[in-house]
Amino acid sequence: MDKAFIQRRRRDLIVAACLALLATQVPRYVTDVYIQNMMIMTLMYAALSQSWNILSGYCGQISLGHALYFGLGAYVTAILYTKFGMLPWFGMCAGGLLSAVIAMALGYPCFRLGGHYFVIATIVIAEIALVLFQNWEWAGAALGITIPLSKQDSWLTLQFAKDKLPYFYFALALACVAWFVTWWLEDSKWGYWWRAVKDNPVAAESLGVVVFNSKMGAAAVSAFLVAVGGGFYAMYVTYIDPESVMGFQFSLLMALPAVLGGIGTLWGPMLGAVILIPLTELTRSYIGGSGRGVDLIVYGGLIIAISLARPQGLVSLFSRKRKPAAQPVREAVAS
Amino acid sequence: MTALLETRNITQRFSGLTANSDVSISVGRGEIVGLIGPNGAGKSTLFNLIAGAFKPTEGTILFDGEDVTALPAAERCQRGIGRTFQVVKSFESMTVIENVIVGALVRTTNMRDARRKAHEVLAFCGLDARADVLASDLVPSEKRRLEVARALATEPKLLLLDEVLTGLTPVESQKGVELVRRVRDTGITVLMVEHVMEIVMPLVDRAIVLDLGKVLIEGSPKDVVRDPKVISAYLGDRHAVGA
Repeated sequence: MDKAFIQRRRRDLIVAACLALLATQVPRYVTDVYIQNMMIMTLMYAALSQSWNILSGYCGQISLGHALYFGLGAYVTAILYTKFGMLPWFGMCAGGLLSAVIAMALGYPCFRLGGHYFVIATIVIAEIALVLFQNWEWAGAALGITIPLSKQDSWLTLQFAKDKLPYFYFALALACVAWFVTWWLEDSKWGYWWRAVKDNPVAAESLGVVVFNSKMGAAAVSAFLVAVGGGFYAMYVTYIDPESVMGFQFSLLMALPAVLGGIGTLWGPMLGAVILIPLTELTRSYIGGSGRGVDLIVYGGLIIAISLARPQGLVSLFSRKRKPAAQPVREAVAS
Repeated sequence: MTALLETRNITQRFSGLTANSDVSISVGRGEIVGLIGPNGAGKSTLFNLIAGAFKPTEGTILFDGEDVTALPAAERCQRGIGRTFQVVKSFESMTVIENVIVGALVRTTNMRDARRKAHEVLAFCGLDARADVLASDLVPSEKRRLEVARALATEPKLLLLDEVLTGLTPVESQKGVELVRRVRDTGITVLMVEHVMEIVMPLVDRAIVLDLGKVLIEGSPKDVVRDPKVISAYLGDRHAVGA
């Protein structure tokens, strides 16, 4: 029954496993620290974008405020580590759970809003949070939090002063987890419910889909994963302030790879991040000196080009043509 | 045995406009009931009230002996009310089989079971050959079938069909009629809205005629079509005098 479908699912899994294995070998050949940093950022954004894609791509609730969850993850991890001496592993989970709860608390009023109003609400809420953190003395206010370097490199504290490679593996694992969660959810009740909600909420409701709960579920999973990414980022850069973890650009940088690669697709965010993030870093370092924002202009243009020429995203170039749909089956004509 | 569906004194007002007023109907188990009436008679409103798209201003709706008036649409689907939409609402970015799986997931969370059920239903509706086609690529009559298939996948006790036979060619609508009969033969009760009398009358066991938001008459199709009140509602008083 449905061999083609099962084969496609299995093929996705195998391809992902092969790519992940290949990725683990890359640092052997790439020793340049600058490039390594770029790869770490690429993998992190791939993970973030993949997580964003769950709420905004699959469930169709476009959020441009996910910087909030990224920042929360970073802050919870940093605060628990510096003020309470708790391991970042714990901090990331705590930040993830807190973000999931907050995503649902915010979703409760916001998911009643339709279309553009929802998008605007997400932007506004993230900006409010940014201002709150900028003025919250206990959390470092605008000065932020510096994570003190420990003398010893350790996986427990995620501190690696000499060598950035462990961060690479962590970011890779994060991307794999986000991808796998998406893969797993795609063929589950939730995955189908989300896509139904995106396509037509009224019809979905008539088929027993509880639209509101679907959105809440998607928001929680999405926020959790993004916050874990935020926690990782805090430990990686060892210094955070509100603007550097909760700024609007993070919301954009999560959304754009998915849009470029293919929104609501399994591979879109990965492909998008692999193209977009190195491009950002390179334009920033080569032409960014002449003024901030040139990098943003470059891929702003790229996004416009994509949305005009290939609105389904780049992955649609790879997907094999579906079975020719030209011949409607005569038997199936009535009713 | 109690009726499967019963509406008691349903009144629905939309800011000044009364779409349904004091409508009390009942649908027995295993029946095919036609809900007919001229345009603007309040058929679709009553339909949406039964399916739970919105709550009535007044009155109660009983399904399977229980008061479902306050339940949201999703909950009613779980209780066994399936529906189609007059203007088809396919999940356009999903394939045909995926559309139907959404419906099947009301009864199971096991994906294999849901998929198997979806295939069964598609075969029943004659759409299995189109399972892997995007819903947006279907021709209009196939989309109608998909609406029915999706609703059937939720394993309803009562299936509400909203003008599924309207606007089809004679051959297509004949196939539609056969499909509705086969649905009933599986034990599902059918309540269908149509305004094309010639198609509905031979199919239904009983017809309920709505006019201006009220129940005009109900009875066997034969009696209903001969009733002067019905003829007058459809064609105007002049024709009723001749009848």
